[in-house]
Amino acid sequence: MKTTIQEQDGNLVAIFEGRLDTAAAPQCEQDLKPLNDCAGHDIVLDCTALDYISSSGLRLFLGVLKNAKPKGSHVFITGMNADLRNVFTMTGFINLFEFK
Amino acid sequence: MKALELQMTQKQFTSWRKSLQRRSTLAIIITAAVLIETTAVVQYLFARKGIREEVQHRAQSELHAKSLEIRNLMVEVETAVKNTAWVFENNFQRPDSLVGICEHLLQNTSTLIGCGLGFEANYYPQYGQWFEPYAIRQADGRFGRSQIGSATHDYLHSEWYIKAKEKDGGYWTEPYYDEAGARMMLCTYALPLHDSSGRTVAVIGADVSLDWLSQVINSKQIYPSSYNLMISREGQIMACPIESLVLKTNIQQATAKMKDTSVNTLNQNMLSGQRGQTVVTDDKGEKNYVFYAPVEGETGWSMAVVCSDHEIYYGLRQVGFNLLLLMLVGLALLGYIIARTVRGFNRLQEVNATKVSMENELNIASHIQMAMLPKIYPPYPDRQDIDIYGLQKPAKAVGGDIYDFYIRDEKLFFCIGDVSGKGVPSSLVMAVTRTLFRVASGHEAAPERIVTQINETISEGNESNMFVTLFVGVLDLPTGRLRYCNAGHDAPLLVGNGVESLPCVSNIPVGIMADWKYQPQETLVLPQTTIFLYTDGLTEAEDASHGQFGLQRVLDRTQQAWRANEQAPTLLLNNMNRAVSEFVDDAEQSDDLTMLAIQYTKQQQEVRLCKALTLPNDVQTIPQLAAFVDDICEALGFDMSTTMQMNLALEEAVVNVMSYAYPAGTKGDVHIEAQANDERLKFTITDSGAPFDPTAKDEIDTTLSAEDRPIGGLGIFLVREMMDSINYERVDGQNVLTLRKKLKATVKS
Repeated sequence: MKTTIQEQDGNLVAIFEGRLDTAAAPQCEQDLKPLNDCAGHDIVLDCTALDYISSSGLRLFLGVLKNAKPKGSHVFITGMNADLRNVFTMTGFINLFEFK
Repeated sequence: MKALELQMTQKQFTSWRKSLQRRSTLAIIITAAVLIETTAVVQYLFARKGIREEVQHRAQSELHAKSLEIRNLMVEVETAVKNTAWVFENNFQRPDSLVGICEHLLQNTSTLIGCGLGFEANYYPQYGQWFEPYAIRQADGRFGRSQIGSATHDYLHSEWYIKAKEKDGGYWTEPYYDEAGARMMLCTYALPLHDSSGRTVAVIGADVSLDWLSQVINSKQIYPSSYNLMISREGQIMACPIESLVLKTNIQQATAKMKDTSVNTLNQNMLSGQRGQTVVTDDKGEKNYVFYAPVEGETGWSMAVVCSDHEIYYGLRQVGFNLLLLMLVGLALLGYIIARTVRGFNRLQEVNATKVSMENELNIASHIQMAMLPKIYPPYPDRQDIDIYGLQKPAKAVGGDIYDFYIRDEKLFFCIGDVSGKGVPSSLVMAVTRTLFRVASGHEAAPERIVTQINETISEGNESNMFVTLFVGVLDLPTGRLRYCNAGHDAPLLVGNGVESLPCVSNIPVGIMADWKYQPQETLVLPQTTIFLYTDGLTEAEDASHGQFGLQRVLDRTQQAWRANEQAPTLLLNNMNRAVSEFVDDAEQSDDLTMLAIQYTKQQQEVRLCKALTLPNDVQTIPQLAAFVDDICEALGFDMSTTMQMNLALEEAVVNVMSYAYPAGTKGDVHIEAQANDERLKFTITDSGAPFDPTAKDEIDTTLSAEDRPIGGLGIFLVREMMDSINYERVDGQNVLTLRKKLKATVKS
């Protein structure tokens, strides 16, 4: 599992690669810390290379969203495959995020 | 809004109806009043007419009687005078004897007060111009004689003398006060006398006192305040109740100042000797009826009876007034009775409406109650491991028996109960109990805790002291393990290896003691065994002679069914139902009858795949689990998508166990076993930690916004979504969590 934060076109982009399971979650949470300081930037969670996500991962996504919303930043998700999207649909998370 | 409009219409209707009632009540009262009033008026008018005729009749009789009386007196005088005339005429030659004849006439005629004989002037030259011998009846009864003709008493110019002479016949004078002779009110009857050549030479003047006239006229009135009146030919008042008017004034003068001018016509009529009646209003505004008639004979007098209208109709008015009062009271009474009747009628209508609506509501209640009970059989056509059939016959429209069952997390939750009493109150408690059963069992798999929760709620504020005998069972479908708690209900029968009663400890029914500790029991139900539950409506079903069906018959019938291998729920219950119906026959059903049969029909299948993995309680070992799951999914030929779902479900379930089963910092193992047969894949996750039932958690709300979303609870939700069933059991000090996925469905998706 690898998480990279980049700045592209004024947006903060988090790129996920591999399996975001419970074991990987603590490290990923550390990697996402820079997103806390997102004032003035929208956040893009790039899931193109994300193979798997469990509820621990969903919690991290929810954490990013809860942090960004009060600062006026939008959180977009891009490149998510159908299976993961299905998980988002099931849990109702699809209603919380904006998809690109 | 619709409802509000409807309500308004209802209100308007009610007020309209009320005003209609008020108006019709008023109409009835008014009609009655008009009828009664009209009757009263007609009656009054008739009575008035009758009274008037009566008064008229009485007045005329009175007039006639008085007239006759007066006439008699007059005739007596006239006759006496006429009969004595020839005696005078024969004694003209002896003028000294004449006064004696006068006295004789007085002696013979008691009504005469005095009698004189006035001769024409100088008839006896020796006596001069005036000669009138006169006899008078004195106050002491003796008679006085005198010659009263003189210059001061010039009778030659007196009315009596002149008129009698002119008329040459009997003549009654106007009443007058005689100052010369009798010194009282007099009236004189004058009769001319003739000498042998037929020339009129003298006139007899017979004086009649009017005192008796007043007596006759004023005596005996037809009404207390009515009075009689007599006037002379010239209108002189001869008799009336006011003494001062008598002979002092004439009728025209007396009535001159009256406002009602009809009195003038009356006077004229009376003076001209007519008879009749009229109404005169006096100055006080009071109407007076005057009946008048002339006195027969030569006097020319006229008599009248005067009665006041007030007095004539006094009695009638009194009666009328009383009638009016009575009528008002009657009307008030009528109004009251109508109002009461209407109110009574309204209440009757309301009561009827309420009764109808109550019956409707009872029907609805019955339907709702029936709808609460499971009624589609077989309830789980897709399942091979369970067969259930239930029957209920309520004694009244709605019953107090309850039974229910449903499957959650591969466990069959079922209950049967009997609420004390029958009818609506029992059915309400039944409905509450059924709801409580669903609520409690929704997050609780231990039957004793389900019963305890139901008991606490029902006992709380149980003022009607209703109680429920209740049997709650939880059959673990994968294993056939039956946990149950019996709160005072009839022990169910197990029909498998023979027929046996399920052993039950004596717990008290729910609703009696809020803090009772209900004891759980446990047994293993072997495949093909039927659990037969019933309420006492079965054992206590009565025939016409109040004999009871009894437990022995139930056991016998069940034995028969078992021997005939007919313990399948539908067969068993229909048999039992037939038996009890035959027994009861035509007798009225005395109690609710409920039966429920549950057959455990699980068939063991050949295991195709079996793998196991043991992990420490460390989430960092999750990738090992992922590899394990991937292997199994690959072996079963799952696609990528399903494999990911299995991974997700297993990770969530195992992480849950790792996080909660062991206290923080302590080490423990989590054992994962995967088994697959031709039908389904089963994961069994076992740990030795503290009892923890992840299925007992409430479901999360996936529609909440990000801010309101709780962080926890997602894991088990995802497991439920990914797997066909999740099932928790605490077995031998271990938590056993079983996840199942059907293979066919998996391959298809």
